[in-house]
This record gives sequence, structure tokens and C-alpha cells, in this order.
Amino acid sequence: MADVSALSPRLLKCWGSEAVVYDKASGDTHYLKPLTLALYQICREHPGYALTELTTSLATRIGVADTPELQDLTEDTLDQLRAINLLEHA
Amino acid sequence: MKLLQMPQPELRRQLAGAGIWMRTGPFSVRVQSRIPHVAHGLTELYGQFEIRSTHESFADFHVSVNAPNTPRRWLRPQAVFSFDGMHPFKPLPRDQAFPMLEWGLNWCVSTQAHQYLIIHAAVVEKNGRAAILPAPPGSGKSTLTAGLVLSGWRLLSDELTLIDRKTGLIHPLPRPVSLKNQSIDVIRQFAPDVYINRASLDTIKGTVAHMCPPRESVRRQHESARPGWVIFPKWDAGAPTRMTPRSQAQTFMFLAQNAFNYSHLGEDGFRVGAALIDQTLCYDFRYSKLDEAIVAFDQLANTPPA
Repeated sequence: MADVSALSPRLLKCWGSEAVVYDKASGDTHYLKPLTLALYQICREHPGYALTELTTSLATRIGVADTPELQDLTEDTLDQLRAINLLEHA
Repeated sequence: MKLLQMPQPELRRQLAGAGIWMRTGPFSVRVQSRIPHVAHGLTELYGQFEIRSTHESFADFHVSVNAPNTPRRWLRPQAVFSFDGMHPFKPLPRDQAFPMLEWGLNWCVSTQAHQYLIIHAAVVEKNGRAAILPAPPGSGKSTLTAGLVLSGWRLLSDELTLIDRKTGLIHPLPRPVSLKNQSIDVIRQFAPDVYINRASLDTIKGTVAHMCPPRESVRRQHESARPGWVIFPKWDAGAPTRMTPRSQAQTFMFLAQNAFNYSHLGEDGFRVGAALIDQTLCYDFRYSKLDEAIVAFDQLANTPPA
């Protein structure tokens, strides 16, 4: 059986820089592209980070410049992670 | 006894009466029909399959294909598929009775056999490892599947990949290979000696004919196989043969979306699917020449697992 991380009520399975998430409550399955997974992991490791800190960490982790555009993208991605209940609403 | 050992008149008599019991992969089916096309199709394509008297054996699925009981049958002959007395499909023209039986059996398995995660994909095996071939219609999946099983690969299924939820192994369901439109002539040219039955014209899938499953695949229909690869074939006119790695996570998503019962199985469907991807190498595969495609698959099968 697969080595799947349990994040009750969700299951997360990573392959390289991508992942899939199964939500036990809704039965939905979501695909996390590399940027989304990286941001999700940063949020888990640093639950108190503000948007600017998240953006800086994300830039470092995926090897891109820390720009205003990346901050917008980070904010949008956080919204998506909240929409699928992987992150709690602020 | 094998179906081919039963004389045609006796087969017709039994089919028209209580029906015949037949084993296909892990399932047993009782088939009943008074339509000669069905008896003919079974003789042509299921000759190597085991049959028994229906009085002696339990059947997983009780199916029939007969004329609907309406006045229309006198004007324009039709056939209707029945499963446990239900009619899941609208009637079709009578000359499509045999393809209707095939589609109906696929429907029975895909809606009832939840002991498996069932993916809409062909699957073939060589050297103990199975290649799962999921792809949308028109991708050349059936042509490639037929070419492979005529070239030493074992047919597990041309349509339904059955993944055992307990073991993760793939269970064979070797039945006639459905060929559509141009692929019928491609396979006739590729293997002139192979038996392909009379084509049914103007079906919902276009022109459809069925290729007899290889005898060896039927003989080994109880031998499961370990998943080796998930390969997305795409026939592309003039394209060079090319196998390229693809994302495992995206492959998982595609399989989940193309499984018949992924949602039904809930968390277990996710775990079985994830375990499958863990065990397999995932590729996109483009080809335009069937013989080159087979060489590429053979190279894969001859490469020791990592």
C-alpha cells in the first residue's frame, strides 16, 4: 500500500515536487503543482508567517526572484489552498 | 469443455433456452439469447473459453440479448441487453446484437465489481509486468493493444484494467479486442491471419469489429500481473516513435478521473491508485508506425526493473 501522509481529514501523497490530496469529507481529489505544494509545505513548517515572509521563503525554495508578482501569486495560491480546505481560513 | 467443442446447433439451442455459463477472467457469466448473431459471435470469438451447463454453476452476471417485446420488432428488428432483468441501454439494431453483448458485459463489470479499482484502460503484460494504456478515443490505443498482443504481449484487457484492492495486482479479463474504424484494416494488414469478425456499421462508436483474443491470453486468464508502467499512447501521423516520462501526480489524476469506481471506493480508491503509481513508470508515447511502437514496448519490457 502507498506511503500516504494522513492529514486528517485528508490524505496527501507526494511524488517529487508534486502531490495529490484526497479530502475524506468531500471525496474530492486535488492536484498540487510544484509551486502550490512548496507553499503548502512552507505554511505547515512556519504557521505564523505573514504573506511577505511566505513569499520570500517560496522564492528561495523554488529558485525564483522575490517580486511583487510572486507575492500576488502567493496570495492567490493561499486562497486556492483555503478553498480546498488544506489551509484554514485566516 | 471449451465453447468451440460444442456444435453450433446445440449452442444455439442452449443459448435460446436456459443460456450458457461462461468463464471470463475472474467472472462467470450466464448468457442467454435467441438471436443468431450472438451465437455466431460467441462461436467466432469465444471458442477458447470454458463453458458449462447453467444448471451446475453459479454466475456473477446473468445477461441476455434478445428482441424487445414491442411491435417495432416486426418493422425494424432490434436487440436489447438485459442484466438481472434490467435494461440499462436503449435497444439497438439487431445486427449490433453481438457488440451490444460486449458493451453490456463491460458495463456489468464496471458497475458491479468493486473488489477492484477499475480503470478505463487497456492493459497488456510481458515478462511479468503489465503496461496500462489509458487514453481517450481516437488515440490509437486499441490498434496498439491489438498489435502488441499479436507480437508476444499477453492481453489482460482491451478496455478494463482491474486492480485488486488487496494486493495491487492486475487481474486479466481477456475478451475480444474491440477495433474501430481505420484500426480494423490496420490490424488486418498487420496480421492477415488473425480472426476479426464481421464489422458492425453505424454503431454509436462508428464501424466496430472484434478481434479474437490470443489463445495463450485466454489460457492464462487466471494469472495476475504486477503493474509496471502507465503509458499514454497517441497515434500521430508521421510522428517519430517517442517515449517520454510524465508526471506521476498528473498521471494519478488522469487515472482517478478515468476510473469507473474511484469515487465509489472513497479513501481506498485513493490508496490503491497511489500504490499503483508508486510501482509504475509513467510515460507519454507518440507513434505513427505500429511495428516501431512494438519495438519500443519490447525494449521497455526487456529493461530490468529499477
